Amino acid sequence: MYQFTLILKQLLPFIMTLFLWRLSVYFWNPAGILALIPIFYYTFVRPIHGFAFFGILFCFLIDYRCELPLFWTCLYCILYAITGFQNYLDIQHADNNALYVFMSFIGIGFLLLIFSGLTWANLINNLWLFTWLSILYTPITSIDNWAKQ
Amino acid sequence: MIKDKSSYKMNRIIKSAIAAAAVPVIIIYIMVAKPDYTVTNALAHVFLPIAHGVGSVITWPVRAIGQGANWVREMSNLRSENKRLRNRLDEALSNQNECEIAISENKKMEQELDIKRASPFKTVIADIQFDDSVFYHNAFLINRGTKDGLTKGMVVVSFDNRLVGTITDCGSRFCRVRALMDANTKIAVRITGSDISGFLQGNGKSGASVGFFNDAQFIGRAGLKVITSNISGVLPSGIYVGEMKDEKNVDVIKPNNLSRVMVLQFDNQGSYK
Repeated sequence: MYQFTLILKQLLPFIMTLFLWRLSVYFWNPAGILALIPIFYYTFVRPIHGFAFFGILFCFLIDYRCELPLFWTCLYCILYAITGFQNYLDIQHADNNALYVFMSFIGIGFLLLIFSGLTWANLINNLWLFTWLSILYTPITSIDNWAKQ
Repeated sequence: MIKDKSSYKMNRIIKSAIAAAAVPVIIIYIMVAKPDYTVTNALAHVFLPIAHGVGSVITWPVRAIGQGANWVREMSNLRSENKRLRNRLDEALSNQNECEIAISENKKMEQELDIKRASPFKTVIADIQFDDSVFYHNAFLINRGTKDGLTKGMVVVSFDNRLVGTITDCGSRFCRVRALMDANTKIAVRITGSDISGFLQGNGKSGASVGFFNDAQFIGRAGLKVITSNISGVLPSGIYVGEMKDEKNVDVIKPNNLSRVMVLQFDNQGSYK
């Protein structure tokens, strides 16, 4: 039982990403975009060995389902390169599990997407998704703390 | 200890360098491969079914609960739906004779004018797996693919024969369909009962609008019916698209209201691609 719990804890980041991606529903989780939360958290805030490839893969799958050509994959790679090459921005020790960094990450993404298709509907939709992802960031990432306890 | 720390730093820099090198490669690929994205689509055809399969195993309890709730909701609506359907059936039966006369008149006119209309020789029924309406895109996945004879460019309609979208990419067991509301949708349409043609474009989320009419004097109005025209050679003509809501906007079918669709395979498929 202890071994099983240990394996489950180790697999939690992967399960969480897959779970949120697969449970995509219209309006609340379109194209499984909520999976960006564990992808960001387990790559930059609490890095897990071997998770980066998994993160790229699921960014790519989100992009495919949104019909966005490698958009989030590209942003993910840019942030990965930025965090690796410098020490000034230390995401691992940022406040609130790096909520503000996450908000900046998705905020830049949504802003670019607003300008690529500038309509009221697109603007409102992107604002909604930005708010929704920001609200859910803390509860979803606190699952990790809870599992560690 | 120091060796471990330096090797960790080195490892981190190497990974970051790989990520940084990937960025220009991705950007160049996006510019070069547009609009087919053959390589990324081929990769998606491999990884998407695997992720979907594993995800289905993990999420089955949640989906089972969701389906149960849906079932209860449907059962509770059964009585009111039955009443509504009976009313619609009565209306349809009262219009049946008029429709039959109109169809036979239409056939006669087509023969006299020597119009050759493309007709589907086969239909494939597919379930909507995901509705991925997000950002300015409105696409969804269906659970049929190349193994069922589907290919890119095929027409997807609802069960009441309204145009829903066109297939933009096909895997072996799934296809991605671009709905009419998608900002990239641009199809040639015609106003029924006239020779006026125009182009329909998706608004991204809320619906679609029609414009660029061949008659500059024409002003659209609510109630006009819009069907596909074969002007651009992309879609077969005569498929019902929707009804105009005002001067410009068309009330098209929304995929989030559907659970199942039909894919039409046309006998002259090669010619309209």
